[in-house]
Amino acid sequence: MLQLVVGQLLNGVIIGTLYGIVALGVTLTFGITGIVNFALGAFMAIGAYTGWYLTDVVGIAYPVAVPLAVLVAALFGLLADQTLFRFTRNNLINGLIVSIGLISVIQSVLLMVWTTTPKNMHYVLPGVINLDLFIVPKMKGVVFLVLLVVILATYAALTRTWAGRAAYAYAQAPEAAKLMGVRTELLQTGVVVYSTALAGLGGALYASLYSLEVSMGASYILKGVEAAILAGIGSVMGSLVGGIVLGVTEAIGSIFFPQAYRDAYGLVFLVLILLFRPSGLFVRGR
Amino acid sequence: MKSSLLWLPLFAVPLVLHNDVVLTILVFTFILGILAVSFNLIFGYTGQLSLFHAAAFGIGAYATELAMAHLGVSFWIGMMIAVLVVLTISLLVGTICFRFKLKEFYFAIVTFAFSEMARLVILNWNSFTNGSLGINLTAKPSIWLPGGAIAIEGTRIWYYLSLVVLILTVTVCARVVHSWMGRCFAAIRLNDELADTLGIDVFRYKLISFLIGNAGAAVAGAFYAFYLGYIEPAYLSIDQSLAIVAMVLLGGRDTVAGPVIGALVLTALPHVINFSAETRILVYGLILVFTILVMPKGITGAIARLARAV
Repeated sequence: MLQLVVGQLLNGVIIGTLYGIVALGVTLTFGITGIVNFALGAFMAIGAYTGWYLTDVVGIAYPVAVPLAVLVAALFGLLADQTLFRFTRNNLINGLIVSIGLISVIQSVLLMVWTTTPKNMHYVLPGVINLDLFIVPKMKGVVFLVLLVVILATYAALTRTWAGRAAYAYAQAPEAAKLMGVRTELLQTGVVVYSTALAGLGGALYASLYSLEVSMGASYILKGVEAAILAGIGSVMGSLVGGIVLGVTEAIGSIFFPQAYRDAYGLVFLVLILLFRPSGLFVRGR
Repeated sequence: MKSSLLWLPLFAVPLVLHNDVVLTILVFTFILGILAVSFNLIFGYTGQLSLFHAAAFGIGAYATELAMAHLGVSFWIGMMIAVLVVLTISLLVGTICFRFKLKEFYFAIVTFAFSEMARLVILNWNSFTNGSLGINLTAKPSIWLPGGAIAIEGTRIWYYLSLVVLILTVTVCARVVHSWMGRCFAAIRLNDELADTLGIDVFRYKLISFLIGNAGAAVAGAFYAFYLGYIEPAYLSIDQSLAIVAMVLLGGRDTVAGPVIGALVLTALPHVINFSAETRILVYGLILVFTILVMPKGITGAIARLARAV
């Protein structure tokens, strides 16, 4: 029993960091551009398919393929920002619909290029880490560490660099930030592109663990949004913790309650948080 | 009065047009129009982005069928039971959301969460709903006319039935919108804190709008299910909710009947153009993106602006 619980706990943590990386993109985009980019899941699919294609078909080493996949996702992010999201700043509903339209566009293009057949990447890093009480596949450990480092680095960049503080300033008082010389247009584009790059990274790492389908991003964007709200919009470390809380809730919940309702446990938790602590777990009152 | 005459030519369509594909598209348009128009009461007029609408639609469809199968009632009684079921659930969801003063994005997320829970229940309650396989509906609804009951079968009867129900829905919504209650809805949409200080019971009117809208969705669900002859948990999916939002935005949320045009475009366009499945999704996505960017007030808004310019 203990072994099962610990095993599920670890799975929950790893899936949770994937939720967390998407949640980070959601939080940043919402804070700076006022929209929720629901297409982040589709950008995750772009990253995943590009990563798989470069590794398995082209034959580039996986550690090189991942940054390339991130770059590709970011370039598409830039394209989407300049053609679409530039026009939906601070308009939640238009942004929502445009990003949903974008999901259809990206999915159909992926289908045209790579068909509906699920893609499985060859094992990048076989083998397991055996820690007596539980066993973790090495690759899962690597994915967890990479995502953790990226989220921590983002946190450091946001709190320590000029651009990061500019972003915080903008989120608090857009006009004042502008008067202080923050180039708001550039900042907004930068955040949209960065969030798509994060999603692309999540996708490229996902490709090494699970089978790829065009619609794979759908559940991750929903969980990402849930995690971001759980933590409180605007909290960077919160999105990581929110993602992990959600992942663990689902994993542990499905031991003790019917597996079929797995997706519901997180939702119940989310509703309770929103009702009794609407600003989220990690943001002080509003 | 003038606008009600606009419906008349639609009654003549089946008389002059014998193309079943076009009529089928129109039947779907009318039924989805009921759904979109009722949703717009909550979204366009009261300003609450509810993502519970697909759930109301799906629960309406399932409850009608289950009532018919297990209680042995007719389609119409089944539909009334379904409306009651949806009203009860909506009362619960609405009371929670509005009592806790959830707004905008947070309201959307919590209604989505409830919608998703409803979908999971229907998906997993195998003995009752047949899970992901869905249910094939074999019973045919019938209507009583002087001279006996006739089964509602074939595109033509469905065409008139759905058209009449759509007109009823639009009329009811128009009456609501132009009543004192509708003014309260508008006040809440524009500024609910101000509305509150003006003595409008914000909680009550938000709830009423939510209930009326969801009742409309339940009716649409019952018709949709029995026209299609099949129900599945995907009725309650987030995609369905978002498609409804898209119809409303596309048609225009400032008019009562505008969403019907959105329903028409989204139902018809993928069929009018003969594309492969992948291209169809692409076209759907592009329509959404470009309507929002080019016609932010929807098709009716764009037409109105054009008319003013001329």
